[in-house]
Amino acid sequence: MASSAKCNPPATSSHGLTFHKHLLISYSMQREDAIFRALADPSRRAIFERLTRGEAAVKDVTARFDISQPAVSQHLATLRSAGLVSERRDGRLVYYRVEPKGLRPLIDWIARYQAFWVQRLDRLQTLLKEMDA
Amino acid sequence: MKAKAERQSISLEYDLPHPPARVWRALTDPELLAAWLMVNDMRPLLGHSFTFKAEPTPWWDGIVHCEVLEIDPPKRLRYSWRSGPESSPLDTVVTWTLTPTPSGGTRLALEHSGFLPANAFAFDGARKGWQRMVGEGLTEVLARAA
Repeated sequence: MASSAKCNPPATSSHGLTFHKHLLISYSMQREDAIFRALADPSRRAIFERLTRGEAAVKDVTARFDISQPAVSQHLATLRSAGLVSERRDGRLVYYRVEPKGLRPLIDWIARYQAFWVQRLDRLQTLLKEMDA
Repeated sequence: MKAKAERQSISLEYDLPHPPARVWRALTDPELLAAWLMVNDMRPLLGHSFTFKAEPTPWWDGIVHCEVLEIDPPKRLRYSWRSGPESSPLDTVVTWTLTPTPSGGTRLALEHSGFLPANAFAFDGARKGWQRMVGEGLTEVLARAA
């Protein structure tokens, strides 16, 4: 990436936003929400922490926690849909591991602020129209 | 590891049909500013310290600490923008530049500068704060994410 992230909305557009950008922003916010929600739960956080120390099958994870196997599977599914863990099948067993890039949306401030400003400047343009001259 | 990373910035430019004076008010009047950006106690005075407040998240108190670094109405406004969870703090600067256009409107340019790339946060900051939150193994995860 270059040292400056250029983003010039079409000068003629009253919204300053393209449909494509709206989709990108909403996608990145949903990703972030999903990560926050997944890690807000102490059990899921503990499971995630266990997986940061290495790949494990559901039964290995269950053995370490005071929760049922179906509950562990449910937690793993939530972590997986948040992009935080991935699974690998080996015969009848499914192994889970941490997805290294899963936390990236949270630490990538540039991407977050790019989306933030485009959204806020959209609101600024609406406000400017409503202001008294 | 202390990452010696090049700082990065975001640049946005808008052609607005409104005159610079009106755009300036929307950027500096606390109530108008709150209507499109965040609740704040901004005053258009050089050296004035103020905050923006947003909804807190589990990882962020929602507060942005600012100081007016440069003010030249209705052309240029620059303030510091410090925020972020302690795990990945931001020390950045926001610059607004207003240029009148021939049609009586304003070309509004925003530059948000001073970002360290994500991998620098991963090594320097995130590892400390998130380790407390999630655990020791996170260091390696973040290193791989960078």
